[in-house]
Amino acid sequence: MDKKVLKGLLILIACAVLVVSAVFVFVLHSEHSELLEGFLYGAIGVGLFMITAKILTLIQKEGKQDD
Amino acid sequence: MIEFDIPPFLIYFLGAALILLLGKGKVRKIFLVALAVFGFVCVWQIQPHTGWVFPIFSGIELTFLHADRLSLIMGYIFALAGGGAIIYAISTVKESGQYVCGLLYLGSALGAVFAGDFFTLYIFWEIMAFSSLGLIWYEGSKRATNAGMRYILFHLFGGCALLAGIIIHYTNTGDIAVQSIEPGIGYFLLLIGIGVNAAFIPLHTWLPDSYPKATIAGTIFLSIFTTKTGIYVLARTFSGVEAVAYMGGAMCLYGVIFAILQNDVRKLLSYHIVSQLGYMVAGVGMAGVGMGVIGLDAAAMGTMAEKLALDGAIAHLFNNLLFKTTLFMCMGAVIYRTGKNNLTDMGGLARKMPITMITCVIAALSISGVIGFNGYISKGMVIHAAELKEMHILALALTLGSVGTLISFIKLTYFAFFAKNEHIEAKEAPLPMLVPMCVTAFLCMAIGVYPKLLYWILPYKGAALHYLAFELPHTLGTVELVLMTVFLFFMLGYFAPHEKITFDIDYLYRKAGRGFIWFCENPLAHFAIGVEKVVLRIADSFITFGKNPIRGIRMVVDTIGIALLKPFVFVYNLVIQPVYRHYERDLEEVKMRPAEEPLERMSIGTGVLLVLLFFALYLIAMLVQGWLA
Repeated sequence: MDKKVLKGLLILIACAVLVVSAVFVFVLHSEHSELLEGFLYGAIGVGLFMITAKILTLIQKEGKQDD
Repeated sequence: MIEFDIPPFLIYFLGAALILLLGKGKVRKIFLVALAVFGFVCVWQIQPHTGWVFPIFSGIELTFLHADRLSLIMGYIFALAGGGAIIYAISTVKESGQYVCGLLYLGSALGAVFAGDFFTLYIFWEIMAFSSLGLIWYEGSKRATNAGMRYILFHLFGGCALLAGIIIHYTNTGDIAVQSIEPGIGYFLLLIGIGVNAAFIPLHTWLPDSYPKATIAGTIFLSIFTTKTGIYVLARTFSGVEAVAYMGGAMCLYGVIFAILQNDVRKLLSYHIVSQLGYMVAGVGMAGVGMGVIGLDAAAMGTMAEKLALDGAIAHLFNNLLFKTTLFMCMGAVIYRTGKNNLTDMGGLARKMPITMITCVIAALSISGVIGFNGYISKGMVIHAAELKEMHILALALTLGSVGTLISFIKLTYFAFFAKNEHIEAKEAPLPMLVPMCVTAFLCMAIGVYPKLLYWILPYKGAALHYLAFELPHTLGTVELVLMTVFLFFMLGYFAPHEKITFDIDYLYRKAGRGFIWFCENPLAHFAIGVEKVVLRIADSFITFGKNPIRGIRMVVDTIGIALLKPFVFVYNLVIQPVYRHYERDLEEVKMRPAEEPLERMSIGTGVLLVLLFFALYLIAMLVQGWLA
């Protein structure tokens, strides 16, 4: 299988998993919803750190050592 | 079993003294291994009790050995990790002085842990600061020297705050036992003093600044003692303070955000110390007030959540020392073999350093809280305690901290060992480095698989034994979190290392420091010179007046006349000019006269008048004072 297709497929699966988890946790409030919270925390965490890293690029400078 | 009733610090201090006599050969190596093992055995067999009490003044007793469940677990892990650091150092350290610093540091950390009173604690606190400074300065570079200077300045500030807090507490209560203290100025000073060592935000900057610049072995020692002693004293004195718990949440996120951005491997690990300390600080803050003082009625104190919080904090401290020491050892071995510090220069080491790679991956999985490794147990305890106490924001911050930890350790292990780099040259680390790495990595897995090994030595083992680490929702949630984070890390490819430096708060400190030095060298110095001139002039005037009062009075009158007329002399030239010139000429003439010239005679009436004048001034002063009173 082409690498790009595989990557696209994986992203689709991840999105589907996230949507299902979000529906269970935020809409249905099912008693089993906590079993799916881990996916959401993972996605929220990665997103949060991506945004923070982007913001912190404003206070970065080129170089290898902080002398 | 033979029982030693010796404070452990004595063993290591004696070792530090003896090592100078042993040269640099095999005898020294054997001695170091024996000392590491003997020290651990001595700590292991200490029973809960209080000993080595020395009265110094009336009412003050210094206690050098106070052992309870909390100090004992600290003693075990310090002796174990410290012993590992000693053995690890054998391959890289040539100078005996560096061993002396390391042993004094280890001994003083144990001295602080087993101290029964604040003054003994302070003594060892300061020895720790200075002995650890040696481990930074032994690196020898200008960077290390400067970083060491900033390190000791921070610790002297913290030490002063701690001592001031202790003195205020003693003055108020007359008690110097290590325990919770009443709110007040002393309370805040003590919190600041401990906060420096526990790397509270924004007092943390000394840590990522100095640890990466120490010697390879020095960094291992540094990563073990200072911050963990801070957490231990925090648990003794500030358990149950909610603000401290939220400080833990802030540390967890702050440390991990900066860790993700690092390229220097030791700097990345240093920021992770701040982050992992966050879990411990949060646990201490969530515990019950006064729970850090473990006594006979310990079991009766606090709710289950509070006991679990303190157990979680101490369990995470124990586990953190295992996996963080392993990580620093692995990265130290990589730097030792490759001479490279930055992730952008590494890669391709998995085949060249396989044992180092395996131990590093185990430690990375442990710190990330993956199931089957020790970090999963202790992080879970702290987060579960936050949920039980309904501190949901804190629980969320700690969970997101786990995600950040996983991101930065995928980055570290992938780019150090698995990324392509055909040009790198390295071979496996030497045996004395590998042995402690393997032992600590094995313990990470052993506790992860069978957590009761740890539960039995925690301060509140009953609460720990009730904690179900492998409950389905928690286990499944962790698996999902790990899978999603790993997937997004590789799919997005966003967190690759780059040759950039991120400024921390210390940028502001350095700017402020430079500003302070400029202020001292310029305006303050000019002001001081001005004050000195005025004081000298006044002193001269007094001398002149003392030698010849008439001449002195004339000079004062003329000077005042000149000062008063000078602004007007150009405006009302015709009227003022002649008077001004008179004063000027008169002053010059008086100045030219020798001070020792014969005194002009004064009439008796003038003398009496002067005496009466002074007497009247005295009476007025007394009268005014009486009114004011």
